[in-house]
Amino acid sequence: MTIASLLATMPGAIAQGLIWGIMAIGVYITYKVLDIADLTVDGSICTGGAVCIMLMRANFPLPAAMLIAVLAGMAAGLVTGLFHTLMGIPAILAGILTQLSLYSINLKIMGKANQAINARNYDVLVSMQKLRNVPVYENTILIVAIFVVVLIAFLYWFFGTELGCSLRATGCNPNMSRAQGINTGFNKVLGLVISNGIVALSGALLAQYQGFADVQMGRGAIVIGLAAVIIGEALFSRIFRNFALRLLSVVFGGIIYYIVYQTVIWLGLDTDLLKMLSALVVAVFLAVPYWKGRYFARGKGGKTHA
Amino acid sequence: MKKVLTLVLALALTLGCALGASAEEETYTIGICQLVQHDALDAATQGFMDAVTEAMGDRVTFDVQNASGDSNTCATIVNSFVSQGVDLIMANATAAVQAAATATYDIPILGTSVTEYGVALDIPDFDGVTGYNVSGTSDLAPLDEQAAMLMELFPDAQTVGMLYCSAEPNSVYQVQVVTETLEAAGIECEDFAFSDSNDLAAVASAACEYSDVIYVPTDNTAASSTGIIDGVCRPAGVPVIAGEEGICSGCGVATLSISYYDLGVATGEMAVRILDGGEDITTMPIEYAPTFTKKYNPEICEELGVEIPDDYVAIG
Repeated sequence: MTIASLLATMPGAIAQGLIWGIMAIGVYITYKVLDIADLTVDGSICTGGAVCIMLMRANFPLPAAMLIAVLAGMAAGLVTGLFHTLMGIPAILAGILTQLSLYSINLKIMGKANQAINARNYDVLVSMQKLRNVPVYENTILIVAIFVVVLIAFLYWFFGTELGCSLRATGCNPNMSRAQGINTGFNKVLGLVISNGIVALSGALLAQYQGFADVQMGRGAIVIGLAAVIIGEALFSRIFRNFALRLLSVVFGGIIYYIVYQTVIWLGLDTDLLKMLSALVVAVFLAVPYWKGRYFARGKGGKTHA
Repeated sequence: MKKVLTLVLALALTLGCALGASAEEETYTIGICQLVQHDALDAATQGFMDAVTEAMGDRVTFDVQNASGDSNTCATIVNSFVSQGVDLIMANATAAVQAAATATYDIPILGTSVTEYGVALDIPDFDGVTGYNVSGTSDLAPLDEQAAMLMELFPDAQTVGMLYCSAEPNSVYQVQVVTETLEAAGIECEDFAFSDSNDLAAVASAACEYSDVIYVPTDNTAASSTGIIDGVCRPAGVPVIAGEEGICSGCGVATLSISYYDLGVATGEMAVRILDGGEDITTMPIEYAPTFTKKYNPEICEELGVEIPDDYVAIG
């Protein structure tokens, strides 16, 4: 148990953190931009993985498999959106309902609870196997990082368009947005569709990375996603003001979450306590900005009520 | 005082070095990744460690990690093992084996508590040897014999309900094989799959309506919810044949039992053959549990009036 061995675990932690960082960007769009806590993601991350694995096993070309996986995630988001807007179900409940039905759907997609993809027989894009001893351009970290950059660039462009701005306005102040003639219902659905598409992309990468899709793989995903958003926000909100950089901070949050997790495992702590530890990590990162604001804000000025 | 302490420390250090040098035999580290806290899996891990320790003493150190039921954590754990360069990985349950097999093509991986390696590792035309750095033990109880046991105890049964959790790949496989065997004998079978313990009671009631006898395979969710199954099936007077002993002691009349501890021991012996014997893991076939025992649950049998032949052992 040396520091060197901890450092040696870092490529794995970073790769896993990056993949979950993509998922966290999806969570960011609903949780921060739209101000909706969307629990669909626990199901749609598995949908993404399941669709991608099953299509690859059916010898679909990889890009097609991943694209269809994203579309499947978008469909899941669409269902949640329609539950919410068309049927008037509260957003959190709509997400839970979709998540619940996705359990059955994911089972049907895979035909059973767990489907493996053997990296020896298929050209997977990312894999735990491709962290070391592979050419740089095949390295999983690099490939996922490229996904992250392209995704952030796309979202930065999109949220700068008229449609994207109206989507942001919907999250900030729905009443005012409606008064300005924005169709907030449509925007919410659109946000959920985009978010779950991104989550499914992360699921497709995750399933390839670990070599299988499992119907349980999304359990608690929302917690990891929120943790990444919150950690990123707590650490970088002062420096990163720009929207693209904020998305990047979310990805950093995911990486930091997995580095902490990996270190805890390296320390040899009782793994029965892992779940509690991840909850504590989130609690600490939520509390720190609050304490900072409460006890250390004096002298900054302008913090009192106007 | 300080000088004395320094002297003692220096002496201890020298002694330690000398001892270390005299123990010429190689030392090994084994990483153990277990999917979830569960009686059967715990027993397998324990059996594995006991067998290895018995053969190799303290030349082996264990790094035991539990993913607490989260398959993503398996990836984090095996990443840690691979980076540390452990000498062998013991992966307990399907997702753990899959993660380990994806993480390394070099370090020998022994699985246990996996039912079908060919399915779990996506190997076409699997013949019992993976040909990779993966081998291990299967917890498959002879399913055809389980079906035979059902027919032996309940010769008049016309319909059998299969009660299992749809989230567990191993259960689906077991149910398929048992169904085939029973249907070949002219008994009608119907699947009753539940998604978690919350809808178990409703699904179990439906199964009781339909069936003369209910079969529950080796299923983790069923194992942790035997109280619910018992609460539905016993009042309905429908006997349950269970895939493993834990489920049988909670809600079944009889089972053909494998011991996960013995399975772990068998896995441990494979580890010793690899580490000390230098055996090549790529040629080692998957092993099965060494012995099976017919067991019955005396309390439930008495209440339902099921007569048990003499060669069955009561679950104590």
